[in-house]
Amino acid sequence: MTDLPEQAPLAELREFLYSYLEGTPRAVEAARGVSFEVRRGERVGIVGPTQSGKSTVVYALAHLLRLKEGQVFHEGEDVAAAGYDRAALRRSVGVVFQRPDFQILEDVVGKDVAFGPTAAGVPAKETRERVEESLEAVGLSYPEFRLRYVHALSGGQKRRVALAGVLAMRAPLIVLDEPMAGLDPQGRDELFGLFERLREQRNLTMVMCSSSLADASLLCDRLIVLEEGRVAMDAPVREVLAGADRLDALGIALPEPVALARELRKILPDLPTDLLTEEELEEALLERLGESRA
Amino acid sequence: MLELQRNVIFGQFVDTGSPVHRLDVRIKLVATALLVVASFLVDGFLGFALLFPLLVVLQLVSRVPFGYVARGSSFFLFFLGIILVFQVFFYPGEAPQSSVLWQWGFLSISTEGLRFAAILGLRVLLLYHTTTMLMLTTSLVDLTNGLELLFGPLQKLRVPVNELVLVGVISVKFVPIFISEVERLSRAYTARGVPFDEGGPITRARRLGRLLVPVFVGGFRRADLLTTAMDVRCYRGGRGRTKLRRMEAGLTDWLVLLMVVVWVLAAWKLPGLLIA
Repeated sequence: MTDLPEQAPLAELREFLYSYLEGTPRAVEAARGVSFEVRRGERVGIVGPTQSGKSTVVYALAHLLRLKEGQVFHEGEDVAAAGYDRAALRRSVGVVFQRPDFQILEDVVGKDVAFGPTAAGVPAKETRERVEESLEAVGLSYPEFRLRYVHALSGGQKRRVALAGVLAMRAPLIVLDEPMAGLDPQGRDELFGLFERLREQRNLTMVMCSSSLADASLLCDRLIVLEEGRVAMDAPVREVLAGADRLDALGIALPEPVALARELRKILPDLPTDLLTEEELEEALLERLGESRA
Repeated sequence: MLELQRNVIFGQFVDTGSPVHRLDVRIKLVATALLVVASFLVDGFLGFALLFPLLVVLQLVSRVPFGYVARGSSFFLFFLGIILVFQVFFYPGEAPQSSVLWQWGFLSISTEGLRFAAILGLRVLLLYHTTTMLMLTTSLVDLTNGLELLFGPLQKLRVPVNELVLVGVISVKFVPIFISEVERLSRAYTARGVPFDEGGPITRARRLGRLLVPVFVGGFRRADLLTTAMDVRCYRGGRGRTKLRRMEAGLTDWLVLLMVVVWVLAAWKLPGLLIA
């Protein structure tokens, strides 16, 4: 790859259009001109209702679709251009699929985590180190889990194995497709803690698509809201949450503190909705109640 | 990326709401059977020349784009082409020396061989197009109902018609499921560093080999799930099962069938009468 200025976005979509089964009577338009950039170190959440094009965008970032030129860029280079090194792109973009069963390709945990590094030609010794490090990073003990059969794991553990497989590839950009979907509350909390930890320890650039605004707003710095294959909002998390009425109109379930604040605005019109936690809501309420008492 | 669903039409249903789609499914099945029989009865170019306009009419009225059918058939046509080339070079019948156009060792091209391959090609094309159009214009539910009604009388002979039809229809339904499974797996492999969109045709075909076992394992899992789903929804074969929609063939349906019968008879008998 050519040397590019530091400012070049790590990933970029420019007026990205995509239809599944294009050219057939069963064609479905999934993306209708999506544009955004992802810069190094950013954690971007892509939210939207079902069928809004989130997964399509995720697949596009790793060139897992039939792409047209001039729409998807990685470090400033058109990934659909002739001669572009797609293998290098896939080493740079790690995708965690919505369902871990769709991603785990081997029967045994250790072997599956090693799949990516071995496919990339990483020597055995380094691969073993990476497998150990990645499993430990996702909270699975290497000696305990490396020889475990995948089919015997719980949903949350499988998701961790899938994530470990991607971490082992040491991709600078990690793309997560609905990482919390289908998990029970405990599994969800565990995975949430894990992402928080990875965020702090590894300073990963992360794109996470989710139908849950609550999850995305807690894990990301910036949110892109999709509606029917188009970008409806693209702003820092709090700015997006401040537009609670618009989010509601788009059919997106609001995080609990935001939904509560929106309701309370009927009696406290100046109550903000850009709240991430219940504690923030409590603080904002107490502040206003104190004011009104005074 | 691998996009098999875009290029394989077998087992797909494309609802354009055309008059062909609205035809009574039993009439469609009988008409298709007639055309299948016709493909074996007709044995000359003139007969096929008479039959092929019927396929054009069917294609136009169904409103299923010809380009979609053609692209979806490219894989099949490619193999048909190879088989026909072999038929020409290894003509099984006796060809008089005078009709041999080219010979090299055991390979030869004769006018008889060419005619035989051409007729075989036309026969297979007719068979393929008619059955493909039946699938493209009939939903699986309708197809099941139609087959059950047509073969219903066999139940008196203790033939498990409903079960057999269901098994047949589900196997057709599994083709698109297998195809989407292959796409899903190829995407997973590609994301993890084994690309399915790079390399020559042999490299790609070899990589596809990796998918065989997981695809079949996935297929068995789906079949198992489907069985459970049917069990919990009280499926117990055709016994006492009612129909949501009653099928009634109208005048149009019968006229269409009559038209197909006349057309097939004409294609079968007319060439002989004209030559005589």
